Amino acid sequence: MKNEMTLSFLAIEQNEALARMALTCFIAPLDPTLDELSEFKTIVSEAVTNAIIHGYECDGKSMVKVHATIDDRSVKMTVTDEGMGIFDIEQAMEPMFTTKPQMERSGMGFTIMESFSDGIRVDSTLGNGTIVTFEKNFSPVTEVSRMR
Amino acid sequence: MATITQLENGIVLITLAGELDNHEANQIREEVSTAIFTGKTRAIIWDLYQLGFMDSAGIGLILGRMRDLVPVNGETLILNPSPTMQKLFQFSGLGEVVRICTVEEAIDEIGGVVHEK
Ligand SMILES: Nc1ncnc2c1ncn2[C@@H]1O[C@H](COP(=O)(O)OP(=O)(O)OP(=O)(O)O)[C@@H](O)[C@H]1O
Ligand SMILES: [Mg+2]
Repeated sequence: MKNEMTLSFLAIEQNEALARMALTCFIAPLDPTLDELSEFKTIVSEAVTNAIIHGYECDGKSMVKVHATIDDRSVKMTVTDEGMGIFDIEQAMEPMFTTKPQMERSGMGFTIMESFSDGIRVDSTLGNGTIVTFEKNFSPVTEVSRMR
Repeated sequence: MATITQLENGIVLITLAGELDNHEANQIREEVSTAIFTGKTRAIIWDLYQLGFMDSAGIGLILGRMRDLVPVNGETLILNPSPTMQKLFQFSGLGEVVRICTVEEAIDEIGGVVHEK
């Protein structure tokens, strides 16, 4: 199947749940397994939370944009902010690296996004914002996965 | 949502439900910290059996409370995470404190360890 969506919302924490819910509904026709669904939700949550708390520092007036497409059993998603940007992308993607330890961030977001997706790409310019692109492939629907 | 129970022996039981993301972690952090600094907490049991979702914010919350317990050499056990949450704990080096067991069994384990010391 083919489908496409765009969602924009204010950079406030309450919208983390909104993004997860919307994207969960969007991929529901793929009949994902429970594990695929919760991994996908986690990716969405990590990327959107980063845009809100790092990109915009929860400014409550800028907009986070999520765009997603379904092509057969592959989902592509981009999460875009026009916020502060990332100083050093390679360093940011290292496990345990965080610029906000005082806010009890663990620095695991990018590690989780990498592990739970089938490809991630980060484009960022200091002062201009960040675009995180993912791809996740969903397994073919089999009798076993339907029985879950 | 977090339900916090002070058990005997300085054990705090935190039962989580719903979705633990950055927003929720910020909502419950103070309540959880207050409970830990009230009384002589020496161990925390997190029961995730009813938790439907968790992201890295949950890791941050739990690691933060483990840090609170460092001065008293306290213990932490994480019970019954979903397979996806279990992976998050493994990535973060918390795999060793995860248990699939009942709260009673976890209390037994902590009680046992402490009596030996
Ligand atoms: N959209 C963004 N805009 C600006 N900086 C970002 C963005 N996303 C990530 N970063 C930077 O990359 C670092 C690492 O991100 P990552 O998600 O791995 O960890 P974290 O958000 O700090 O902690 P956690 O995700 O475990 O709560 C962040 O601390 C931040 O400095
Ligand atoms: Mg993050």
